[in-house]
Amino acid sequence: MTSFKPLSRRRFLQGSAAGLAAATSLGRASRASADAPVYFETWSAAVDTVKSHIAAFEAETKLKVMYANTPWAQYREALITKFVGNAPIDTLWVSDSWLPEWAEAGWIKPVDQYKELMKYNGDVEQFCIDSMTYKGKQYGITYYTDFMGFIVNGAMLEKAGIKNPPTSWAEVREQAKLIKSKGLSEYPILVGMAQETWVIEFMSALVFSHGGRFTDAAGDAVMQDPKGGAVEALTMLVDCVHKDKTLSPSCVETGELAGLKSFLSGQHAFGLIPKYRLRTLNDPKQSQIAGHANLVLMPKGEHGSHATVGWMRFYGMTPRAQASAEHAADTVKLMEWFGGKADGEYKFQKLLFKDVGAGFGVKSLFNDPEMREAYKAYGDVEMIKQQQALARKKDVVTPWFGEWQDVNGAAWQQALLGKLTPEAALKKSADKWTELKKQA
Amino acid sequence: MTTSAISARRSRVMPRLSYDERSAYLFVAPLAAVLFIVAVFPIVYSFYISLYNLKLTRPRSVPFVGLANYETVLTSPTFWASVERTAVFTVIAVVATSVIALLVALLLNEDFPGRRVLSALLLIPWAIPYVANALMWKWIYDSNFGALNGLLFQLGFIDNYMVWLGDAKKTLALIAQAFVWKEVPLAAILLLVGLKTIPADLYAAAKVDGANVIQRFFHVTLPGLQSSFALVFIYEAMMAIRHFDLFFILTEGGPGNASDVVAWRIYVETFRNLSFGTGAAMSYILALATLALAYAVIRAMAQRI
Repeated sequence: MTSFKPLSRRRFLQGSAAGLAAATSLGRASRASADAPVYFETWSAAVDTVKSHIAAFEAETKLKVMYANTPWAQYREALITKFVGNAPIDTLWVSDSWLPEWAEAGWIKPVDQYKELMKYNGDVEQFCIDSMTYKGKQYGITYYTDFMGFIVNGAMLEKAGIKNPPTSWAEVREQAKLIKSKGLSEYPILVGMAQETWVIEFMSALVFSHGGRFTDAAGDAVMQDPKGGAVEALTMLVDCVHKDKTLSPSCVETGELAGLKSFLSGQHAFGLIPKYRLRTLNDPKQSQIAGHANLVLMPKGEHGSHATVGWMRFYGMTPRAQASAEHAADTVKLMEWFGGKADGEYKFQKLLFKDVGAGFGVKSLFNDPEMREAYKAYGDVEMIKQQQALARKKDVVTPWFGEWQDVNGAAWQQALLGKLTPEAALKKSADKWTELKKQA
Repeated sequence: MTTSAISARRSRVMPRLSYDERSAYLFVAPLAAVLFIVAVFPIVYSFYISLYNLKLTRPRSVPFVGLANYETVLTSPTFWASVERTAVFTVIAVVATSVIALLVALLLNEDFPGRRVLSALLLIPWAIPYVANALMWKWIYDSNFGALNGLLFQLGFIDNYMVWLGDAKKTLALIAQAFVWKEVPLAAILLLVGLKTIPADLYAAAKVDGANVIQRFFHVTLPGLQSSFALVFIYEAMMAIRHFDLFFILTEGGPGNASDVVAWRIYVETFRNLSFGTGAAMSYILALATLALAYAVIRAMAQRI
């Protein structure tokens, strides 16, 4: 039988002091000491590949890495909460969409001073460097990149007797009408316009290829300009839905993944689809159009070009990592191991490409025989290289991007539903942009 | 003043607790502490946050703004448009749930072979988690490969696949339908319990007076179910007003703003825009509105019963 000992005042004070000391030491954990591990945060992608590459890094450098990952869907919110809570993070994956927000808040720091990272710039696509740059400072080193592709279902075009894929949006509309008239597809064109994170990439690809911009060099809204490409792009989409009936009105509920599934089932002839999906589209185990999904240059609008939108994920560095020169050096080593060369080659980028088909922003990798061979299985490597060179960074990435996109996305949808004219929708979008810019 | 005088005065103000009372407080204390941490503190703290312009992306500047967040919300046309949509959704959801649940309860109140099996089957939607329910309906409603289009097409009711959630005119009603499917079992059980409490004598007396089935339903059953209906109405209205899962998974507030209800707006403001101040203010307004509605219903019912 155990006896109950009353808690004396002395023991209570001793216990409290011990607890306080433990809490204080935990609080100190957010400041790195000289031989502290490097804290690395990613979203939950290619987790095993990341872990094995970390293990190789630890073996090579004798440094310790504390790795954690969070699902993509909650990553931004989770990381912001961690930043605010002063959690220990040294380097992390960052999306170009969050760069201004995180840089303005001081959660990530420029890396221009680290030559070990900057030396790779000469081998990286310009839009990638632009996407990692904010107010003239570079905030990271490339993790992976991709662009919005225009993909055609070659088998359907052949059935329709179309010999050459379209090179302009006018040709896309004509060919789509022909395919529809032959009963080959109810809605030959696929564009996902559901309110989700992907929608800005779809919009940007359309606007850029029509020669337009959402904002000018000064960051002011130009999307409402009637002669600008944005109005032209949205008008074309609206016409495809309501006049040609070649784009389903359900595009407003079609997200990227649902769109992919629809394209995989062979229901469409033309699709705006992220380039990395080519691998899935040409995989016989997953696709009914395997071997027939081809990337062609983004069609151009009347006053546009073959430009598309590219996006970027990169390794960012926190103020914690830069608190001491020694810890910064350790962190830079890890960033270079992943984003630059490890053992003399872009090992992690190659692993990622082979593992999940993730695109790379390193130009020299297009000439790597191993990569070219891997690409050949599902895509035309020269076409991919050509289109990637025409990719541009998004011009709406600002600290107020999320709030603006809430209104902008709804405005585009209202135009597609016929509740607003394209001009009125884009004016609404531009007004919100101007209001938020003033508040910032 | 002597020590004994102080002690005597203290015992007048705070009478000494008996051993049993002290033991009772001791046993209740851990639970009270947990409740304070997980319920009372967050409620009070969220009100405190609602008085500040707290935006996580601007961590260095958190000014005290008093009731300005409430003013911002209450003068926003976007907020009032979402209130209107919430009201429409709630009315559709509560009326449909109540009517269908009543029919189900009346059916289950009868004796027939297989009644128990049917009762168990009817509980399935209730047992399905909200998120799973939403994902299921997302697949059913999908315009490109959804089960609803497939079924209607195969039965020959439609020539082409229809647009469901993407049609702004149908969106709220379709989400309400998914909500009703999940909520009917619980409402039916509550009404069934009410039906069981109506004395059989009343029906017998009504029969003796010559009342037919319909007259018995309107003059005996419905009045007898008043308190059960009040419970169903309050519970379902609160669930509908605060409902978020279906809006998040099915439409994310779209298309356009067709399903941009208050709960969705709170999510966008708090977790997408990371504006915790206005998000908390909006949450308080929603909570107070729900509370006021429940209070009004209870008062009205109390006066009638």
